[in-house]
Amino acid sequence: MRRRHLLPAAIGAAAVLSSASGAALAQPFYAGKTVRIVVGLAPGGGFDTYARVIGRHLGKHIPGNPTVIVDNMPGAGSLVMTNFLYKVAAPDGLTIGHFDGALILGQALGQPGIEFDARKFEYIGAAAREDVACGVSKASGITTIDQWRAAKTPVKIGGLAPGSTPTNSGLILKTALGLRTQVVSGYKGTSALRLAVESGEIAGACWSWQSMRVTWRKALEAGEVVPIVQVVAKPFPDIPNVPLAINLATTEEARQLIRAGVQNPAAFARPLVLPPGTPQDRVAILRTALADTLKDPAFLADTEKAKLSIDPATGDEMAQLVAEVLALDPALIVKLKAALYP
Amino acid sequence: MPIAEMAEAFAAGLHQVLAPGTFGLMLFGIALGFAVGILPGLGGPTTLALMLPFIFTMQPVEAFAFLLGMAAVTGTTGDITSVLFGVPGEPTTASTIVDGHPMAKKGEAGRALGAALMSSLVGAVFGALALAAAIPVVRPLVLTFGSPELFMLAVLGLTFVASLSGEAVVKGLIAAGMGLMLATIGLDPISGTERYTFGQLFLWDGIGLVPITIGFFAIPEIIDLAVQRSAIARSTVGKLGGVMEGVKDTFRHFCLVIRCSALGAYIGVIPGMGGGVSQWLAYAHAVQSSPRRERFGKGAVEGVLGPGAANNSTLGGNLIPTVAFGVPGGVMTAILLGAFTIHGLVPGPSMLTPESRGGHLSLTFSFVWTIVISNLVTVTICFLFLRQLAKVTQIRGSVLTPPILLLVYLGAFAEKNAIEDLLLVLIFGAIGWAMEKLRWPRPPLILGLVLGPLAENRLFLSVDNYGAAWLWRPGVLVLIAITLIGALYPVFKRYLLRREQPAGHAAVRTLAFDRTALFTLAIVAATAWALWESRGFGLRAGLFPWAIGFPLLALGILQLFFDVTRMGQHAGTRSPEPAPEIPPAVLATRTVAAFGWILGFPLAIWLLGFTIGGVLCTLLALKIGSRERWPISLAIAAGAWTFVYGVFVEALHVPFPPGALFAWLHVSVP
Repeated sequence: MRRRHLLPAAIGAAAVLSSASGAALAQPFYAGKTVRIVVGLAPGGGFDTYARVIGRHLGKHIPGNPTVIVDNMPGAGSLVMTNFLYKVAAPDGLTIGHFDGALILGQALGQPGIEFDARKFEYIGAAAREDVACGVSKASGITTIDQWRAAKTPVKIGGLAPGSTPTNSGLILKTALGLRTQVVSGYKGTSALRLAVESGEIAGACWSWQSMRVTWRKALEAGEVVPIVQVVAKPFPDIPNVPLAINLATTEEARQLIRAGVQNPAAFARPLVLPPGTPQDRVAILRTALADTLKDPAFLADTEKAKLSIDPATGDEMAQLVAEVLALDPALIVKLKAALYP
Repeated sequence: MPIAEMAEAFAAGLHQVLAPGTFGLMLFGIALGFAVGILPGLGGPTTLALMLPFIFTMQPVEAFAFLLGMAAVTGTTGDITSVLFGVPGEPTTASTIVDGHPMAKKGEAGRALGAALMSSLVGAVFGALALAAAIPVVRPLVLTFGSPELFMLAVLGLTFVASLSGEAVVKGLIAAGMGLMLATIGLDPISGTERYTFGQLFLWDGIGLVPITIGFFAIPEIIDLAVQRSAIARSTVGKLGGVMEGVKDTFRHFCLVIRCSALGAYIGVIPGMGGGVSQWLAYAHAVQSSPRRERFGKGAVEGVLGPGAANNSTLGGNLIPTVAFGVPGGVMTAILLGAFTIHGLVPGPSMLTPESRGGHLSLTFSFVWTIVISNLVTVTICFLFLRQLAKVTQIRGSVLTPPILLLVYLGAFAEKNAIEDLLLVLIFGAIGWAMEKLRWPRPPLILGLVLGPLAENRLFLSVDNYGAAWLWRPGVLVLIAITLIGALYPVFKRYLLRREQPAGHAAVRTLAFDRTALFTLAIVAATAWALWESRGFGLRAGLFPWAIGFPLLALGILQLFFDVTRMGQHAGTRSPEPAPEIPPAVLATRTVAAFGWILGFPLAIWLLGFTIGGVLCTLLALKIGSRERWPISLAIAAGAWTFVYGVFVEALHVPFPPGALFAWLHVSVP
């Protein structure tokens, strides 16, 4: 997985650096190069689409205007790609990884198979956040958080694989808010969750509101599906009256669980990162380029058309949140594990 | 919705597809799909993914005409490769091999192709019409499938194993069990437990259908071609081998073709089941419904018609839940969903609402038209060149095998950009070859592999959601009844037949432990090991491997007993071909040589990369392995290089690994 018509990875960063600094007087490092955005998930999905739209516009904001290509390296919920990025990819600023940021929380909780240290990646930034809200069907009879609290039988909330945002959100809310809930995991994507809610198999599910409000628009508008709680620090402007989970929590411990388990990971859910040891000048170039891209009208027109929400997080911001997650109080880690892996 | 509005949108859809720009892009898509379908290894889903970046600048109608035009014809032209070479052109056309390729060997390639193409056209049109007809009723149609119904459908699908096993029912059940066991490889979707992953991340998502299908069906055929050193067609038949005969066959068995089209479309609607399943169920249905089942596997035209129709109608069916819910029915529609996003289309009710009320109904109808028109164009073009195409079977095998091998490994890699998949091709190639030689039916294994994850996932979802009450849902009860009837009917029929016929003469009982028994012993050992490994899985992750492993172990031991005592031996689904006489010593040398090249390709690709290693190996295999003359060898190798480098590296930027050797030596490849 290395670029072939470019400077090879194997020569090492030193050689690359010296040639680059020599050439820098004449032309920028990225001139004539090819930058690859490697997506850890399959083509056609949400991560892939974001990467492709960014990839179309990123090149013109990097000095030297390199060609930007998007590749997929799917496997193990993007863990294959993330390990590759950490261990194999050359830190030359030409390979950008895009993976599911839930893996970072996974590292904190000791999820098996993780061979990277998320603190060592160089964070370029993110185009979007993954702020969670829960949608519940009207047919389930639960349309307010009070009804949920008063439920006699467990309310069925759908989940995907262990460690995924929908599963984690359901489990954290169950523990932190003491809601009578049964998290049914194993669905194969948020589309399958929507279908299961509409057919009445489960009552609802929790995932990014930015995606939910687009893919479930008709049902939400018709009132067949109701946003019942949002797991964010400040409410979304379009659902100002839906209660915040954090305000419903009664203990500090519950608030900590909600923050560490759902709210904070939202900012690094869709990271664009470089391998550890990438030269800082290139990190800086790409951070600026991403920030410029996210303001580019042509880019915004594309995202507008594709109904992709843009809510940037800067590289610094992400690096800090990642450091915080990986420095959590061991006692809280134990509680998170107990909530997420019952 | 008023009929007039529907009709208007239907007409508008056609009008949009026929707009010059859109039609041009659709033709381009068809040309691509045509090539991809024919080339073994490279599949429709991979190519769709590679084409995604190009649709940004297109209008939605253009983008879908381009992508769907491509997707719609891969199944049609994939059948051609399956029939002619016995190598699946697409993973979804593997079933066409079972009877189509024996027809080609008998010199009836033209007839088989005529039948495959005509039934493909019928199937595609049926699928498209199903999509059109389903539009008003699609939501209730899909919403009646809860997890319990989906589980029962998977079980129903598994009962088709009996028909896919030919006379060797025990072997068929064992093969299906092996498929189900292989399906448990990877992370358990609910508990996250690693099952049989050997610590390898690439196994976390399980083993893909593409490398397995390729290994299973392509490798044995390549070995056969290399060993026989003859052309594919061993004899020529006059008029009967003609294309028109195949077309007539389609209408002679029109009921079967329509039933299989319906089956394909119906399976397509069910999320998680696609052409990989429908083709085999259609094949099984063709066998089941024939009064003369013994002809199958030896070149029965119904065995071509059934899957030919079903793998094409599946796409139309797949699109139904994709358009109505954004739930992709199959692999290709999962990638098409990305195209929806890029164009800001949200699947759901708006796709079924007329433009006048802010929806995209005529766009949805343009999908229907694209499927119909692209298949009409493709089949017409094929018929024009079919006679020439059928002549490929008269080319000597030694020229064909090296480039086919390169393509096979290229396709296996490009699905997930994972070099490890080449290893899977090798492993499953060896298993497939052994199964073919020892007359084990291979289709049940594929069916188990595809249906296993669906069955396991939906069983747990059913139990979690409904407890034991899922069994009493009306849909489930109906499906249980159908399953029981389907499973018991053949047993009953056989019982009646046996009563009419006197018992066969007893076989001579001699105890023997030969390679047949050795293979069975290997299966038993592997199953025992798998069960031993599963001791630490826990109830969630362990239930499925146990529920399959123990019966599989018992059946394996039973079969071993049969093998050693020579009891219960029957001919497999594929009869031995009347091979030209080759002395055993020569046969052994050639087989070893063929294995050497099959092993050599991935090794060269791993060490030197695709562009250098793969092409170099093609050249060596032609020159040294096949003893072709230099001009031919060089010309084919040059063509291979142009294809690999020009198309994959330069045009599509496929991230080929640079070759382990270069990495060790710290040398860069320009």
